[in-house]
Amino acid sequence: MASSGSGYDLSSSTFSPDGRIFQVEYASKAVENAGTALGLKCSNGVVLCVEKPLLNKMLLPSSSRRIHTIDSHSGVAITGFVSDGRQMVNRAREECSNYEETYGTKIPSKVLGERLASYVHYFTLHGSLRPFGTSALVASYDPETKQHSLQMVEPSGVAYTYYGCAAGKGRQPARTELEKLDVHKPETSIDVREGVKQLARIIHLLHEEGKDKPFELEMSWVCEESNWEHKGVPRDYIKEAVEWAKKDIEEEEEFESDEDEEMED
Amino acid sequence: MNQFAYHQQQMQAPMPMSYQHDGKSAETRNLKPGELSTGTTIMAIPFEGGVVLGADSRTSTGTYIANRVSDKLAQLHDHIWCCRSGSAADTQALTDYVRHYLSQLAIETGRAPTVKTAAHLMRRLCYENKDNLMAGVIIGGWDPVEKGSVYNIPLGGTCIKMPFAIGGSGSTYIYGLVDSMYSEGMTEEEAHTCVKKAISHAMARDGSSGGVIRTVVVKESGNAREYVPGNALPFGP
Amino acid sequence: MSLSLSAGGSVRAASANSNASQRTRQPIVTGTSVLAIKYNGGVMMTADTLCSYGSMAKYKDARRLQSINPKTLIGGGGEYSDFQAVTELLKRNALEDKCTADSLYDEDASEECAREVWNYLRAVMYNRRNKMNPLWNDLVVAGFSAQGDSFLGFVDKIGTTYEDNYIATGFGSYLAMPILREKYREGMTEGEARALLEDCMKVLFYRDCRALNRIQIAKVTKDEGVLISDPYELETDWSSAAFITPKATLDGDGGW
Repeated sequence: MASSGSGYDLSSSTFSPDGRIFQVEYASKAVENAGTALGLKCSNGVVLCVEKPLLNKMLLPSSSRRIHTIDSHSGVAITGFVSDGRQMVNRAREECSNYEETYGTKIPSKVLGERLASYVHYFTLHGSLRPFGTSALVASYDPETKQHSLQMVEPSGVAYTYYGCAAGKGRQPARTELEKLDVHKPETSIDVREGVKQLARIIHLLHEEGKDKPFELEMSWVCEESNWEHKGVPRDYIKEAVEWAKKDIEEEEEFESDEDEEMED
Repeated sequence: MNQFAYHQQQMQAPMPMSYQHDGKSAETRNLKPGELSTGTTIMAIPFEGGVVLGADSRTSTGTYIANRVSDKLAQLHDHIWCCRSGSAADTQALTDYVRHYLSQLAIETGRAPTVKTAAHLMRRLCYENKDNLMAGVIIGGWDPVEKGSVYNIPLGGTCIKMPFAIGGSGSTYIYGLVDSMYSEGMTEEEAHTCVKKAISHAMARDGSSGGVIRTVVVKESGNAREYVPGNALPFGP
Repeated sequence: MSLSLSAGGSVRAASANSNASQRTRQPIVTGTSVLAIKYNGGVMMTADTLCSYGSMAKYKDARRLQSINPKTLIGGGGEYSDFQAVTELLKRNALEDKCTADSLYDEDASEECAREVWNYLRAVMYNRRNKMNPLWNDLVVAGFSAQGDSFLGFVDKIGTTYEDNYIATGFGSYLAMPILREKYREGMTEGEARALLEDCMKVLFYRDCRALNRIQIAKVTKDEGVLISDPYELETDWSSAAFITPKATLDGDGGW
């Protein structure tokens, strides 16, 4: 159906004849072109990481944050249209605050994810609204069950729970790299300190020096070390992780080129 | 004229008059004319793995016993119960609301609500409507977070977690008794005996408490209701 | 952010002939005095753990000192449900501040300073009293000003405020204030400050029917922020000879 898009992509309130909502898919495309965002559930916490492209040399590095605290125990990383994401962040904060005010306990991670997804989904139902051009990675901890979790809310209004997830430009290779970490098996799960290193490695691995824009790494975690609060990963440790990541990638490349030479022999 | 005109007339007696007791307890003083009151003795003690709640069964209008076998223990969720005192109408409405909210919450979260959440909901209703309510309730139950726990929400809408709680007009007569009987870490058996004994003694001295004793033992495994007839109360040394 | 505390009793219209004390609510569950003094390096505050229900000592483990952000401490007397509502409001605001802060890092934190909290409380309390529906509390706020000077301020249920080097609320304003006036001096050490507050709390226990000798002491310092002690009991003394010797004998003129 070569021309199936024609006429059916003007509104998210209209299905195409083959059952798709093009506006929602276009919204997902908006995310696919933005900086990579990664999330990883580790044995003792969750790590969030966003590659924030520095669009302009005059830009103050810390401006336009992509990772936001929404409650003491939870944080959100956004990628795509940052301004759309900010709306989601505000809504997430409201949901957390309202829940605690009403029930006297922190909002369970699953409920937060679902409520945020419902909010996003609402924007895919009406002809007069535009879907969100943002994906949000939600890291949170539930003090009642003492469980931590990672979820991703997508422009279509779905929220899935993950061991590791990626959104944005580098999501495909990033997912492959995340799968290699095998964090979904308890025996091969890693701690957050190792997780930070691995996420830094993946971001640098996907980043092509010279071709891609320079970027800033934003990292946060909700873990045992941060007393299960959502905090930025200590700046020193990010630096350390990045150094390790660069070295690791270099070694890997050397190893690969050695192998190539051997094969030539 | 506001809705409290009835007791305003009583209390606006000429100033020089010496203090005269109106014969009413704090729980019953502000009732509207003709309103039913659970002039009451209620009680809850947590133990390792659960909680015992108990109440007498008298509901009165003034000095007439409107119901001699009422049930002042209301179930709010699978493992959360509430002892009611004050206006019967108000406390019934409140427990209905909290029961509704908790069932909604359980569906949304997919897990059993905590006793703390139940207490928080009740406290919000009591606090935000304090001018129009006559309700003093005790919330007790079992949940995986705190195990057995008890919260007290008296007239103004304060919410305090308690090692044990007693309430209602009859409770004033047994503070000493319960203070001397209660100890930390009571067994289920000890707590249950203590509740029945204390309520018996309150019923013996409080004209607004009486009838039978109804209890419930709340544990993870379920709830066990018990009934002590009015002629077989564990009263006395 | 709304200045008024939406939670709370409904506002009832005042009619010309109705009694003022019935128009506004009466406190039901009440806490008594809060005392606080500035000392060398910080501010110290104390309150007992009793909440009374009329004359009944009903709740013996009610916490009346609360930390509402890492560097601000408040203490409250009066209606405990209102105090719970006020602390919840302040903590909610503090959390909102933390979430909307410019940085994810603690070291860049810029939480509301005590003076700002105190001013905010003044607005809340005054607002509610203008609705003829006050929050029935005396509140003491301790911490630091934005400039880093130690701060100690008071707000009451009608929105009156003042700052001082030492503050006593409730019964304490009668019984502890004279002692504080006599014994307080600038630059007291932590130990001296604590001893003075404990002495005052002892007097209050002896002479205030709504006081208890089970107290908490809290301090705010620049380095450590707010620290609130666990409740502990004050030693009391009943050994004076005049106490032990009975006075109401036949040959005496009786005693009381």
